[in-house]
Amino acid sequence: MPDPLVARLKTMIVETLKLPDVRAEDIPEDEPLFGNTRLGLDSLDALELVLRLEKEFGIKIGNSEESRRALASVSTLAAFIRARQPAAS
Amino acid sequence: MTANADAAAAGVEALDCLTPFGDAAATAAALLAGRRALAPHPVLGPDGGDPVPLALIGGAMDEPVTPRWLAPARELARRIPAGDWGSAREPVVVTSSNFGVGAMHAFTRDRDARHLAHGTPFAAAARLGRELGWGEHVHVLSHACVTAHLGLALAGRLLHRGFANRVLVFSFDFVSPFVAAGFHSLKILNAAMPAPFAARDSGSIGLGDGAAFAVLAAAPAPLRLEAAALHNEMHHFTSNRPDGAGFTACAVAMAAAARGRRVWIKGHGTGTLEAGRLEAEAWRQAFPDAPLVSWKGSLGHTLGSCGLVELAVAAAALRAGRIPGTVGGEAPSFTANVALGPLAAAGFDAAVLSANAFGGAHASFILAHD
Repeated sequence: MPDPLVARLKTMIVETLKLPDVRAEDIPEDEPLFGNTRLGLDSLDALELVLRLEKEFGIKIGNSEESRRALASVSTLAAFIRARQPAAS
Repeated sequence: MTANADAAAAGVEALDCLTPFGDAAATAAALLAGRRALAPHPVLGPDGGDPVPLALIGGAMDEPVTPRWLAPARELARRIPAGDWGSAREPVVVTSSNFGVGAMHAFTRDRDARHLAHGTPFAAAARLGRELGWGEHVHVLSHACVTAHLGLALAGRLLHRGFANRVLVFSFDFVSPFVAAGFHSLKILNAAMPAPFAARDSGSIGLGDGAAFAVLAAAPAPLRLEAAALHNEMHHFTSNRPDGAGFTACAVAMAAAARGRRVWIKGHGTGTLEAGRLEAEAWRQAFPDAPLVSWKGSLGHTLGSCGLVELAVAAAALRAGRIPGTVGGEAPSFTANVALGPLAAAGFDAAVLSANAFGGAHASFILAHD
């Protein structure tokens, strides 16, 4: 059964970053989100994602190194959120 | 790749700055005492938010209808030598990376059109020019955190191509909630105090208010700016080439220009990890015996004005005979060339001053003295 948090994050990425040619279900869970030519995301995309995540999940990302680790992939992002919001889905 | 360095020197006729500690002499003294101007302030000013390290002149941050930078700029301007500033032969170069960007944000918040009177670089420079009685020959430059370096380089070229007798370079950057929030969104402005060049697990910067001026002339002077080198990596908006080639380009140019001199290096050193590591390593390789310092752990990053503010502090430190170390730094540093404590100026006959910026811009010059 698909992880509802992972699915929600994928949809959020597509919506937040307005990725016109990407379907949420096509974003791989364990591939790098950044430096990935398929998605073509850059540091400004990371900034937008962090702001959306903080607002939507009520979490705080403390510094840029923590942000980089959290945004390594969809899986790491889901784990990061669950560590701070165990009930997140 | 090596950056080209201008061969001509420019004499420094006058120079000073304003920071939360006061003028350049007071600032150098505070740095020598290891004091930090940075203190925790709400990132959004009166609207609150997370506490982040800011070094504020006046102690509070907002964007009032009368710009916060105007009174300090007036105070600093009183120390500028008399001149026909803004005339064809004595032009002014105004540099800032902020100018009135916070005012534009305040306008969107308050819908008060008075904010627009200084809400763009040209409007802000024009307002300053009216206040200080400058003529029409005012150049306005804004190129992120190497802006003041570019202003000094432009002034040097105006002098050496015979377009001017003297040039006034004036720079100011005051933190606004808009700018602080931007850096906070990137998470490089966070709750921690900056520790430039320290090999920590996470990086952080502070932001600071600062203003400074320099009067440059072609005639030789006891204090001279030499060998301005500029380079742009053309790699990325906010990160550097991972091999450090951008930092190396200016460091190698400075090493060639400074050959035979005993130098110390005032680096950029904001407190971010990746850029700090690349910068420290580039200077270590180009100048194996030169100590490297950063003052942004105390003053915060004065953004586009840092090159001129820190030049004024360097000149004051030379006059005092002692050079501040890396205030806020901590062991272990990325490289062994980082100096945490003060240095005796008598051991050196020149300094290399450097800055770098978003967009991969790098700028350095030599501060030579008799």
